[in-house]
Amino acid sequence: MSQWSESKLPPMESLSSLVDGELEASAVARACGQWRDDHETRAQWHAYHLIGDVLRSDDLATDGEHDAGFLAAFRQRLANEPVVLAPSAPSVRQAPIPVRRRSWATPMAVAAGFVAVAGVLVVTQMSGGLSLRGGQSQADLARASNVLGGTVVVAAGPASGAVASDPPVVVLNGQLIRDVRLDEYLAAHKKFGGSSAPGGPSGFLRNAAADGSAR
Amino acid sequence: MTATDADAPLIERVKLGDVKAFEMLVVKYQRRIERLIGRMVRDVDLVPDIAQETFIRAYRAIPQFRGDSAFYTWLYRIAVNTAKKALVDLKRDPIVTESARAMRDDDDETSRVETELSHGETPEAMLASKEIATAVNASIEALSEDLRQAITLREIEGLSYEEIAEVMNCPIGTVRSRIFRAREAIALRLRPLLDTREGERW
Repeated sequence: MSQWSESKLPPMESLSSLVDGELEASAVARACGQWRDDHETRAQWHAYHLIGDVLRSDDLATDGEHDAGFLAAFRQRLANEPVVLAPSAPSVRQAPIPVRRRSWATPMAVAAGFVAVAGVLVVTQMSGGLSLRGGQSQADLARASNVLGGTVVVAAGPASGAVASDPPVVVLNGQLIRDVRLDEYLAAHKKFGGSSAPGGPSGFLRNAAADGSAR
Repeated sequence: MTATDADAPLIERVKLGDVKAFEMLVVKYQRRIERLIGRMVRDVDLVPDIAQETFIRAYRAIPQFRGDSAFYTWLYRIAVNTAKKALVDLKRDPIVTESARAMRDDDDETSRVETELSHGETPEAMLASKEIATAVNASIEALSEDLRQAITLREIEGLSYEEIAEVMNCPIGTVRSRIFRAREAIALRLRPLLDTREGERW
């Protein structure tokens, strides 16, 4: 592929390659600049294309006068047009996808984090400070955060902040908070609470879960 | 790389705001577009105007050009639509130019399918065109076999450099250089005919 390193091609040879769409991308801007600045290049560009046209069909032969006049008139019209700007489709198409994914991932992560932490808190509050379980669940949350990606680091902040101020509300009623998601969480863990956590706390948990699902 | 995306680098430049890159495309396609319109519109004086309008419309619409078809195919459609619209407008509000009046004396305008004149030029211009065609064909004949084959495969067969390299059994760099040298040789004979009165106009 050494033939493709044409950045050192003579200017007119670059132009000839550009006629055929065979000029490497990095050299195209230079060739266009050359066309803009040098009338000799413009005349040669016209000649190259005219040659191609005549080779394909004799009736495409026109005198240079006509073609130059056409371009001159077109330039006048083009000068009144707003410059179009539409950078390449691939780069535009790629950009929004991660942003969009992130835009719904953040609230989801916040919600998931809140539900998880609130659930853990209820369990620990009601089980009278079974610090081992709380610690474990926090570790789980941290692990989940890592899986969800970098944005969750931001999401974890508000979630834990809400948790810090929420506990009084949760316990104050003496009952469970009426969050549907929490109910779901407890319902899902109903069996779990009974079987895997032996001892005093499990009784509490069982009651709480029954309460939640009864509503 | 095929002939289809030969315009892709320039279109990319246009989309980046390089207006001059669009002018390069105009110079490339203007003759074909004018011939096409000349076959649809009898009034030869209108052909350049409709061609200009075609290119302006293409320029405005270029953000919508996704490269699904060849650029020329897309441009061709715009030209046909622009010419049709011009014909409709003309019937509604007929501004009869001299050449159109001459044409209409001959026959009914509904039978305008094609016209022998591609651009409706003066006899002088037609003579100049003929000279140009003769010069190009004569210089092709004068080329060495390698150069003639390379430029013919490119311009008439529409092969890519890679395909020509395969056919001619040589490196791509050689293909590039042969096509360039062929063009230079032909342009050398052609340019004096093109640069007649106003060589600096480009």
